[in-house]
Amino acid sequence: MTDRPVLRLRSAAFTHPGGAGVSGLDLDIRAGEAVALIGPNGAGKSTLLNGLLGLVPRTAGTVEYAGHPHAAVGMIGVLPQSADLDPDFPISLEQVVMQGRYRRLGLFRWPGRADRAAVADALAAVGLTELAKRRFGDLSGGQRQRGLLARALAGEPSLLLLDEPFNGLDQQNRDALIQTLRDLKARGVAVIVSTHDLELARLVCDTVVLVNGEQLAHGPVDDVLTLGNLQECFEGTEIEIDEHTLVVPGHEGH
Amino acid sequence: MGYFERAMLAAIVIGAGAGFVGALVVLRRRTFFAQALTHATYPGAVAAAALGVSVPLGAAVASVVIVAIMAGIARIRRQGAQVAAGIVLTGGFAAGALLQAALPGLPVQPESLLVGSILTVTDADILLAAVVAVAAVVLVAAFGRRIAFSTFDPAGFRAAGFREWPIEVLVLGLIAASVVSSLPAVGAILAIALIAAPAAAARLVVRSYRGVLFAAPVIGAASGIVGVLASRAFAIAAGPAIALAATGCFAIALGASQLRRLPWRGRSIPVETAEEARIA
Amino acid sequence: MDLWDSLFTAFELPFMARALGVMLVLAVVAGVVGVLVNLRGLEFISDGLTHAVFPGLAIGLAVGGTAGLLPGAAIAALGAAVILTWLSRAGVASDAAIAIVLTATFSVGVIVVSRSDDYAGQLEALLFGRVLTIPPAEVVPLVVVSLVALGAVLLTLKQQLFRAFDARASRAAGDRGFVLDLVLNGAVALVVVAAASTVGTLLVLALLIVPGAVARLATDRLWLLFPVAGGFAALGAWLGLAAGYGASVGGGVDLPAGATVVAAFVVGYALVLVVAWAAGRVTTGRSSGRAAGRADRAGAAPAAARTAGSAR
Repeated sequence: MTDRPVLRLRSAAFTHPGGAGVSGLDLDIRAGEAVALIGPNGAGKSTLLNGLLGLVPRTAGTVEYAGHPHAAVGMIGVLPQSADLDPDFPISLEQVVMQGRYRRLGLFRWPGRADRAAVADALAAVGLTELAKRRFGDLSGGQRQRGLLARALAGEPSLLLLDEPFNGLDQQNRDALIQTLRDLKARGVAVIVSTHDLELARLVCDTVVLVNGEQLAHGPVDDVLTLGNLQECFEGTEIEIDEHTLVVPGHEGH
Repeated sequence: MGYFERAMLAAIVIGAGAGFVGALVVLRRRTFFAQALTHATYPGAVAAAALGVSVPLGAAVASVVIVAIMAGIARIRRQGAQVAAGIVLTGGFAAGALLQAALPGLPVQPESLLVGSILTVTDADILLAAVVAVAAVVLVAAFGRRIAFSTFDPAGFRAAGFREWPIEVLVLGLIAASVVSSLPAVGAILAIALIAAPAAAARLVVRSYRGVLFAAPVIGAASGIVGVLASRAFAIAAGPAIALAATGCFAIALGASQLRRLPWRGRSIPVETAEEARIA
Repeated sequence: MDLWDSLFTAFELPFMARALGVMLVLAVVAGVVGVLVNLRGLEFISDGLTHAVFPGLAIGLAVGGTAGLLPGAAIAALGAAVILTWLSRAGVASDAAIAIVLTATFSVGVIVVSRSDDYAGQLEALLFGRVLTIPPAEVVPLVVVSLVALGAVLLTLKQQLFRAFDARASRAAGDRGFVLDLVLNGAVALVVVAAASTVGTLLVLALLIVPGAVARLATDRLWLLFPVAGGFAALGAWLGLAAGYGASVGGGVDLPAGATVVAAFVVGYALVLVVAWAAGRVTTGRSSGRAAGRADRAGAAPAAARTAGSAR
């Protein structure tokens, strides 16, 4: 593993054609590091993630993926914000996970042995090996979410983007997801998680980026998640921080 | 009254009625449904012509049967409304074609059922169209608030304790009646243009729900007049001419609304707008 | 004249064999493409293409006689596929707009035909097809057009299914949605072209919709959908042609062959529906997820998605 960061942003900005966006992004993420992306709704968290995927244009600064201006094929895996998927769609969990390999396969090749092995590994990583043949729509909400994470993993990414992965998960699935993320870090995958869940940031992430239209703070979890920073970041929004276990100096509670 | 004056009168009455009901079709997004309905009335019309009973009556009976079948298929999981409409639509045409072949010597030309023949409309056709138009206006005047509520906020409508199906049945009934009464003018294939185009044009230039209900029938009637005049001037079939006139109104409205949007719209980005918006 | 004759001996006649050959190729291709039409909710766009092809047929017929049908239809269909793909992506057009514009193109076709000598006869041939009178020289072009459609779909099949299931993830994985939509709509257009000159413009849609719908009723296994749809379509084409032959030779009723094929499809659908219902596979429900899922895939058919969603 080289010392070169998996992702480096310098004064980067991503802007939608409509004008909304996020700017002033300065960030290094190394292999095995997890970054929590925290900010109110509409702060540009999804814009940043989509920008890294090339779905939102970069309008300023530079982005380097492992030292290159473009991400290599299959380098980035993504777990989208709870996708609206047709529960009647005739597709098995295994087939959904295989979609994660398509980017590597391209247009002309069909899945081979290596791809099936990667799918099996990804399913094992999220603990759903038993359910591989089940129809995706028959799984519970949490299992579907883990299945989609397996799809992101099947591409064997070195950078994993997760957009609000914990929305609407029960405790059991949440724990499973947290364990999976720790395993991934141990395997050297860099992770960016956008979340409202400050407890998650403490449990899994090494650093935190606070955004609200622009990058407000970046650093180790304890340095950044201060009451003052959070007040600045969430000012004027109606986010309910008290729902989560929030441990900042001089402020403890649920 | 000569045949030409009669055709003009029919074009105005049918155009206005179809335009008015079309406003409901467009606002409630029932276009594909209405289109399937227009197509599927064809076997009913052929059967009625073969049996010697009134063609609108046959089309009306067929439309009731068809609405029932479509509603049934649409409720099945993994099938849905589009599948229902598609199957009923082609099934209707096939049944009509088979009936027509099996019963030679029909008094009515099948083409006139498909693309209309406004020059041969009867007084009864005009009367029917007028009755449908008046009934539609009366019903919308009586239940307009509820229809608007259920159209724009179905969840809120249910939450407020109203049941949706009476409104749905009312609207679907009006659509069916309107389709049946427009058949003599534009036929089964082209009826959707006369129903949807005036309302879609009105919606582009008029902002309010109520405004669309007023503007659409005017545009519909104007399309009828222009179509009949064009048909006489250029010696072309009247049904397609009316459909094209209605489309022309829509095209003009579309152009006008796009022009109005231009100054502040800036550079349009050739990306997947709808999808990008959701991804964001 | 018995059942055996209708089902087998009849196809020893050259024109019946030709009709069967063309219909079998067409049915299988339409079945495979139709599965994607079903999964993507493109029924409305497909209907649009059948309408848009009509003026192409009419103008082709006016310019080049029956030999002009295929080129005319192909030009109109591919043009319409590009325009429809663009319209539905740009979000400019609602379902109403699409219906209106396409009906307008149909009107143009009728006007072109109405200026010819044999208005009624030609209109009927274009609307209901002429599968029994396909000249031998046209068989190869029809088969080629069908196979091109099949090839385009098979080449992009896994990406098409990915996009159908989860458009957003497909985009994130680098698939070009516009290209995929264009390929699929183009394939639908080619099927429409081949089918329009056999079963007629009004009945084409059955070939595209019914086999896919049957497959959805019959199975939840992704890779079984395609053989089920193709097999059903082939069976329907064969029985439909046999029924038409039986009626005209045995019963003395000259039924249009395109219509008997489509009738066989619809009857077959009804039978499958009954069997599925008896097997407990028919469940009803709001199935709002399907509507929402389709709305998310709106790159291809925002209009269609709304229709599907709102009609509940």
